[in-house]
Amino acid sequence: MKIDHSLPLEYSTEENRLKILGFWIFLGAEIMLFATLFAGYFTLANRTGNGPTGAEIFEITPVLIETFLLLASSFTIGLGIHAMRLGNKKAMLTFFAVTLILGLGFLGVEIYDFVVYVHEGAAIQTSAFTSMLLTTLGTHGAHVTVGFFWGLFIILQVRKRGLTPETANKSFIFSLYWHFLDVVWIFIFSFIYMKGMM
Amino acid sequence: MRELFPAKQVMGFVFSLVLTAVALLVYFLDMSFTTGMTILLITAFVQAGLQLVVFMHAGETKDKGAIYTNIYYGLIIALVTIFGTLLTMVWDM
Repeated sequence: MKIDHSLPLEYSTEENRLKILGFWIFLGAEIMLFATLFAGYFTLANRTGNGPTGAEIFEITPVLIETFLLLASSFTIGLGIHAMRLGNKKAMLTFFAVTLILGLGFLGVEIYDFVVYVHEGAAIQTSAFTSMLLTTLGTHGAHVTVGFFWGLFIILQVRKRGLTPETANKSFIFSLYWHFLDVVWIFIFSFIYMKGMM
Repeated sequence: MRELFPAKQVMGFVFSLVLTAVALLVYFLDMSFTTGMTILLITAFVQAGLQLVVFMHAGETKDKGAIYTNIYYGLIIALVTIFGTLLTMVWDM
């Protein structure tokens, strides 16, 4: 294995570089996946049947908390990667742990929100609008849940094996995934919540 | 400690909070649907670009070209899917 020391660890071998490129291709597919969900949502947003409308069930406070938590977690994982490049394993793991705690906070608020929706009579089977809304939010939430466990295992592995070209590469790819979830949330925040409450 | 908080990323975070605050104007001020959607479209796409460049290091290696080509490809398919759906299902054209 040829290691190029002029590059950060996560890019240092050809295999590593290709894995990062491969993950970007996966993210391209994820963009398209969420596009289909948004297309469905925009089509069905006004088909509320006998159920509530978006303006009736959306609340600004939980949405703002969720947005802030996810933006902050995207920032801390960026700092984690920066610390990793400095070779500071301890700082890196701290930032990764903070990221996951913020992610958990996000999930907590989102689950609370879902419970409130269901209690207000907006369950997944209520109307075309509620089923599309909960599918879109739920797909994003499922991604965050997967990301939480993925990140947890990354932390365990870096603790056990230290910073090697392999673990640095995995950590970097995980950070790409986490930033991507934040990007998707920005679109949910803007075109589902803000548009719905406008 | 200071070296752990690079100015570029701190500025990126502050800027993303500012963009969120601007998007919130849509909620707190009374404005037309067109104005509101214009603001949201601008803040959302600037914010997404910011994440891509500042935090995801998209243009860092010689794979830059392939990475951006792939993102643009994904985006074009996404926009065609969304606007195609809007055209046929919502705007009735």
